[in-house]
Amino acid sequence: MRVDLSGKVAVVTGGAGEIGTAICQVLAANGASVVVADVNMEGAETLAAQLPDAMPCKIDISSEGSTRDGVEAVLGRYGQIDILVNNAGVNTQAHRVTLDSFPKAEWDRIVRIDLDGTYLMSKAALEPMVARGAGGRVINIASVVGLAAMRLQSPFAAAKAGIVHLTRAMAIELGHHGILSNAIAPGSIMSEGTRSLFYGKDGLFGSRTEEFMRHIPMGRPGEPNEIAQAVLFLGSPAASYVNGQCLAVDGGWTAGYTI
Amino acid sequence: MQIDLKGMTARIEGHSNAISTTLRDRLAENGAKIIKEGLPDLLILAAPQLLDISFDWDGLTVMARRDGTAMKTRGSGRIVFLLSACAVLPIRRQPDFSMQMAAMNALMRTLAMSLAPEVAANALGTGVIGTDPAHLQSGDAEMTGHVPVSRAGTVTEACNVALFLCDPENSYLTGQLLSADGGWTAGYGRSF
Repeated sequence: MRVDLSGKVAVVTGGAGEIGTAICQVLAANGASVVVADVNMEGAETLAAQLPDAMPCKIDISSEGSTRDGVEAVLGRYGQIDILVNNAGVNTQAHRVTLDSFPKAEWDRIVRIDLDGTYLMSKAALEPMVARGAGGRVINIASVVGLAAMRLQSPFAAAKAGIVHLTRAMAIELGHHGILSNAIAPGSIMSEGTRSLFYGKDGLFGSRTEEFMRHIPMGRPGEPNEIAQAVLFLGSPAASYVNGQCLAVDGGWTAGYTI
Repeated sequence: MQIDLKGMTARIEGHSNAISTTLRDRLAENGAKIIKEGLPDLLILAAPQLLDISFDWDGLTVMARRDGTAMKTRGSGRIVFLLSACAVLPIRRQPDFSMQMAAMNALMRTLAMSLAPEVAANALGTGVIGTDPAHLQSGDAEMTGHVPVSRAGTVTEACNVALFLCDPENSYLTGQLLSADGGWTAGYGRSF
C-alpha cells in the first residue's frame, strides 16, 4: 500500500523496538516525519538517522513528566502531532506464574507501563492535537492476549484488554474533534529477538512451536512489517471513517475455535 | 491510497450496489483484471447494504465455500465480504438483516480458519454510508446521531477499507471484520 503522509508528523512510542522500527520505517517511506520515541535513546538515534526526516526522542511513557517533556520537544521541532502510535509495552518474562502467586511489583510494573503509559502518552499528545483542531489519529498497539486471555501473564492480559476498551472510549470521546482512535492486536509476531524461540538451529519449527502453530490458521508467526501495514492504513487519509475498531493482525488466531 | 494488484484477477459477486460497483472500479484502477467467470485471485462477495428480501443469501454462501475450496486447492486466493457493521451490532428494527449479516460474519471467520494458510478471508462492515440522508447507501438516518464522528461516511471511505483488505502486502490478516462506521460500533457514542 502506498499513501501520502507528507506533511504529517507521527510519534511512535517504543519506536526503537522491532515492531516499532517497522512502523517507523513504513510511515517514513510514505512521507511522514517520524518521531522515534523510546527509553532506549541509542536505538532511537540509530533508527532516526536512517530515516529521511526523523527525530529521536527519549520518552518513558510510564512517567507523566517524561511524556510531557517528550511532546514539548516534538512540538519544538515540528510544531504539530498528527499521528500517535502507542506501541511501547512490556510483558513478563521472569514471572510466568498464575495469579494466586503473581508478584505485586511485577503486576504494577506491567500495568504502569502498558495501560497507564498508554493513557499518559495519549493525554500528553492529545492536548495539543485537540487544541490545534486539525484532527489526527491514535493507533494503540494492543495484543490478541487482550482479546483472548492466555495463561501466566494476567497483568498483560488485563492491561491489553484495557487498551482495547480505552481505544473505544477515546474513539467516542474524540471522534467529533476529527481524531480517530483505533487499536491493532498483533498475534504472535516473530522478530529477530524471538526468532530463536520459534526456530531451532536447523531452521525448522521445534516440536513445541509446531504444537503452538497448529492454533494459528496461517501456521506461522507474523512479521513486524505485517503489523506496520495495518498501522499505515489506519494512519492514512484513506481510513477517514474507521474509528473505535480493534483489528487483530494474527493470522486468524482469534477468528474462532481453530482446533 | 494505492495498492498493487498488477497481474491479479478479481471477480465481484452478490449484490450490485454503490459500494460493490465502486469497489470494482477501484480494483481495476489499482491494476486488477476484472473477470466475470472463472476462479479469481480476489473474490469479492457483496451482501446487500440495505434490506433486500429477494437477495439469495444461500447462493452467496455456496459460492464462498465452492470458490474458497477451489482457491485452497490451487494454493492461493483472497476473499473479501462486503457486509454491514450490524453483523457485530444487531439493529432492533432490522432483525432479519442483522441475523443474516451475523451469519455471513461467522461464515467468513470459519472460512478463514478452514481455508488458511493458502486463502485469507476478511470482511468490510459498513455503518451509515451516503451523502444524501434521504437516500443512504447503507445504514439509516436514525444511526447518524449515534456516530462519534457526527457524520455519515462516503462510498469512497467504505471502499478504502475493502481495498486495504485486498492489499497483498496485508498478508497476516484473516478472519477479521473491519468496520467503516465512524465509531458507531465502538460504544454508546451519543452525548446527552
